[in-house]
Amino acid sequence: MISIQALKKTYKNVSVLDIPELFIGQNESFGLVGNNGAGKTTLFRTILDLIRPTEGKVVINGKNVLGNDEWKSYVGSFLDEGFLIPYLTPDEYFKFVGNLHHYSDADLKSFYDKFSELFNDEVIGKAKYISDLSKGNLKKVGIAAAFIGNPQLIMLDEPFENLDPTSQIRLKNLLQEERKQRNITYLISSHDLNHVTEICERIVILEKGKVLKDIKGSQNALAELEEYFKA
Amino acid sequence: MVGTLLTHGWKKFTRSAAFTKEVTASVFLGIMAVMMVGYTLALGFGLNYIITEGLDKPDSITFLNMLLLYYFVVEFVMRYMIQNVPVLDIQPYLHLPLRRSRIMHFLLVKSLAHVMNFVVLLLFTPFAITVVAQKFGATSGLNWLLSIWLISLSLHYLVILFKKQLDDSVWGILIFVLFFSGLAAADYYQWFRLSDVSASLFAAAANHSLVLLLSVVAAGTLYFLNHKFFMQGVYYDEQSGQSSVARKTQDFTFLKSLGIIGDWISVELKLVFRNKRPRTVFYMSGLFLLYGLLFYTQKSYTEGMPSFLLFVGVFITGIFMINYGQFLFSWQASHFDFILTRPLSIRQYIESKYWLLNSVTLLCFLVSIPYAYFGWNVVFNHAMLTLFNMGVNIYIVLNMAMWGPKKINLTKGGSLNYEGVGAAQWAMGIPLLASPYVIYTPFVIAGKPSWGIMAIGLVGVIGILLRPYLLTITAKRLERLKYSIAEGFRKD
Repeated sequence: MISIQALKKTYKNVSVLDIPELFIGQNESFGLVGNNGAGKTTLFRTILDLIRPTEGKVVINGKNVLGNDEWKSYVGSFLDEGFLIPYLTPDEYFKFVGNLHHYSDADLKSFYDKFSELFNDEVIGKAKYISDLSKGNLKKVGIAAAFIGNPQLIMLDEPFENLDPTSQIRLKNLLQEERKQRNITYLISSHDLNHVTEICERIVILEKGKVLKDIKGSQNALAELEEYFKA
Repeated sequence: MVGTLLTHGWKKFTRSAAFTKEVTASVFLGIMAVMMVGYTLALGFGLNYIITEGLDKPDSITFLNMLLLYYFVVEFVMRYMIQNVPVLDIQPYLHLPLRRSRIMHFLLVKSLAHVMNFVVLLLFTPFAITVVAQKFGATSGLNWLLSIWLISLSLHYLVILFKKQLDDSVWGILIFVLFFSGLAAADYYQWFRLSDVSASLFAAAANHSLVLLLSVVAAGTLYFLNHKFFMQGVYYDEQSGQSSVARKTQDFTFLKSLGIIGDWISVELKLVFRNKRPRTVFYMSGLFLLYGLLFYTQKSYTEGMPSFLLFVGVFITGIFMINYGQFLFSWQASHFDFILTRPLSIRQYIESKYWLLNSVTLLCFLVSIPYAYFGWNVVFNHAMLTLFNMGVNIYIVLNMAMWGPKKINLTKGGSLNYEGVGAAQWAMGIPLLASPYVIYTPFVIAGKPSWGIMAIGLVGVIGILLRPYLLTITAKRLERLKYSIAEGFRKD
């Protein structure tokens, strides 16, 4: 699915990202953890062609993301509020993103059904712009929009941050449910070790832009992570 | 405590992103400010001479007094445009052990440190000393000046109330302007003479202390009214006007047929109409359509310097393209990452901008057709320059807008907001206005100015025909620059 090859990013001779090789396979749920400044968001942005790498490349489905628009139709992403349009209502925003993926009204309806539990009647059908929403609801709108178009790959940066406990559990169920129904690759970063170990089969620890640990299918991944972060 | 709050105010000013980053803009604005103060002071010193000699009114005091009420009308409108309601600054202090009432007093007094509050002094002090005091004595001169100043300060607080209640809507000020335009007309046709009221009011200001007393009362009352309203409005939810207001939704269904590009244009139209600053740009463009009236009515332009009218034509038909286009990407700074990650090619994105700007240009041309009143050749000129704007200037706008665009916060108001202004934005107007002359001038030298106009139109048509090619070049450029633009937008 994603193949990262000799990827480097430096700002003024300071290396912020240095990954010789990393492959994320189809249908994998991939978690990314690391302390602030480890380069998680930089890596995400590089994968999404928002940052131009100093060296190396990111290849999705055999094609370099740089200078190529094809991947956009099967990659859904939500990193931060820069992915939302503040002056639209959530309904308008979903409809707009839906149009980009050639959604019919029926498609949009089934999309709303899937997320109605997470939205908890606070998002849809309200005369509010996205800029009026609380942080938690902003997050829900962004995450939901990343699912529009049934993308093969979904990238979420800190999806659990700002969500209330009920919403966190609902989101976790939703992510797991989606994987049971179809082939989907997740790329999720989180500071919450419990959540990330529950959802992801593979977890990579990033430190100062380098892959420090790559934990695959481990039963005691949580313990390993706690061990690392204790120091 | 007052000292601490004052230093915070100073730090807010000097440490703001706009101040530290836009050094060129700040220096420019500083020079402008000094120049304005100089001009005002010079006008103040020359006032008596201008009235007695220039306008040939020997009784300069009465003449000036007649105009003073109108002066205050103008001052009110100017204040409305450039003065801000100082309320949002207090949020970080409300939870600290400070008395709210005192914070409000501080805020209201601090707001007096505004250039508009000293215009009256700059403008009328020389006149008060050299004319009013000479004629009626020093006390009268002082009374006269102080009354005028206090009325000006009353306006200061009145504007704050006005803006706070009307939430920056254009209608209030429009009705105000229309009302006083009506009064001025009545004055002109001698139905009702506001100027006489003004003359006797300010004559009285020089001779009795009563007017001074009344203006003290007026300023004081408005001050305390403001204080009262401010005390009521300290609660956060009431201040920001959030959540309680039902937001409008509308759709531009006619754009549906254009497919994905139409969808993007429709979203951008929502951007324009739902946010204060771009909306102001749009309405100002409507106002600038009247710009031609300044020139086409004057023989000295239409016959004396016809080449100057090219500039007028570029402006009238291209005003939205110029004013909105100089921040073409900055408007979307808050969701630029969204644009880059959604299934839309950069080429399509540029194309949506192209159609948006060119459609509005065409619309401006259509609306400007009534200028046919001044002769069909005006309309012909406009048509040629519309073609030129759509075929050539559009690419200048698209490409110059990529030159280090800066983030714009959409929720902030429009007038005198210099956020997002960088070197490119100052410079952009020059090539846009100069480019038609590059084509026109050789024809004028050859003695065929009308061919020159047609050549401008022809070059525009060529630009329009080369659209696919030119758009691809532009898109390729953005493809290269998008990373640095996106990075700039992510910084606050």
